[in-house]
Amino acid sequence: MTMDIALIEAAALPERVKGLRAAGSRLAVISAVALPVAAAGEAPAVELTYSFDKDGALSHLRLTAAPGQKVPSVSGDYFSAFLYENEIREQFGVEFEGLVLDFKGTLYKTAVRVPFAVAAPVKKPVPGANS
Amino acid sequence: MKTTIVPLGPQHPVLPEPLSFDLVLDNERVIDAVPSIGFIHRGLELLAPKRDFEEYVMIAERVCGICSFMHGMGYSSAVESVLALPVPRRARQLRVILAELSRVHSHLLWLGLAADAFGFENLFMQTWRLREEVLDMFEETTGGRVIFNIVKVGGMRKDIEDATLSRISSRLTAMKPQLKEITDIFLNDYTVKHRLSGLAVLPEAEARELGVVGPMLRASGVVSDQRLGNPMYEGLRWEAAVEKDGDCHARCRVRVKEIFQSIDIIAQAAGAMAADGIAAKIASAPNGEAFYRAEQPRGEAIYYVRGNGTRMLERFRLRTPTFANVPAVVKLLKGTELADVPTIILTIDPCISCMER
Repeated sequence: MTMDIALIEAAALPERVKGLRAAGSRLAVISAVALPVAAAGEAPAVELTYSFDKDGALSHLRLTAAPGQKVPSVSGDYFSAFLYENEIREQFGVEFEGLVLDFKGTLYKTAVRVPFAVAAPVKKPVPGANS
Repeated sequence: MKTTIVPLGPQHPVLPEPLSFDLVLDNERVIDAVPSIGFIHRGLELLAPKRDFEEYVMIAERVCGICSFMHGMGYSSAVESVLALPVPRRARQLRVILAELSRVHSHLLWLGLAADAFGFENLFMQTWRLREEVLDMFEETTGGRVIFNIVKVGGMRKDIEDATLSRISSRLTAMKPQLKEITDIFLNDYTVKHRLSGLAVLPEAEARELGVVGPMLRASGVVSDQRLGNPMYEGLRWEAAVEKDGDCHARCRVRVKEIFQSIDIIAQAAGAMAADGIAAKIASAPNGEAFYRAEQPRGEAIYYVRGNGTRMLERFRLRTPTFANVPAVVKLLKGTELADVPTIILTIDPCISCMER
């Protein structure tokens, strides 16, 4: 299955999103994936995929947020993004700059402190590799 | 200006499941609303990497007790997209029939809840009486009334005989006069219209911008339905139910239309069943990623799966329709009267179980 995914840097996100909004695209979903880490317990980088719908077709912007890196919020352009971004922050620990409605880690009413333990898989050694 | 903050929920008569809004009021008028979720968050997405991808269908079904079949089907379809697995036509037809039956059941449930919310108790009971008949059909065909366990990656776990499908289609057709009698009250009764018309209007442009989905989007005049163009619905004649007004009554009218539309779709599918088997053989584990979109009763649900060639997925992500519709409620509540808030929240048909996957 082919998917229309553009790989971008976090700094380029606001401009790309403004362009999509001007073109009439709808923000369909923001997804996060914790990338594999070298050893258990390490903070993972998180891959963020922003999916947009235009006339029934999905296109995606994808960036990788390094541990501790702040990502510009797109909630100023798409108000509905505030819910995705607050949730991703609580589930994966990614910080967003410029959130229009910032729950500051209190979106989920749970006894467990957020961010939740991110289930980042540990990289498996490649057979035959030296390191 | 002196304001008052009134918490609505997480326990409230109009909310069968916990959702909370802090309403900032100027006298009786809402000037701001801040939602809170997570009261029953279950972490089902993060369970996916710990379960076999075929077994996970049963967990996906448990995301919700109303559209359980739809979640099993959506998850399975996403995995099938990664596997490039061709699902037999009969299995796809069975999926359509059960999906549309789920829509009838879900919309009847919503109509009943709406009637209850605006104080029409008798209408509530009559609507749910008809819904019981749909649940009986589920029990007859799948053995379950809430969780069915009938869908699997590659197709269906068990077949339903053609004669049973025809019987169900006939029963649904026979229900139409009763459904019409009840839905006419929602469409034409003075009290219902007075309570819902002109309330919480969402114009088309704003609906698009806020990313709302499903009946809420179609009630604002947008032709958007994930069944359009879905190969499962190939050969079936139907049109997306659309209204223009964008208010609470328009959302109600869209759901009423969709009940009758789903019955017609079931009749068409049941009358042309293929005989090419009910499941494809799975030869490998998913390696790659895919997004799959399904039109649930509440709107577009997005399933994302990523596999690495093992039996465990790396990631499963589900964006439910309620998650997409809640931000719009925040906007819609501003400027409304406190007394109208429960009705407005209800017209998005919130499913907190889905949202708290």
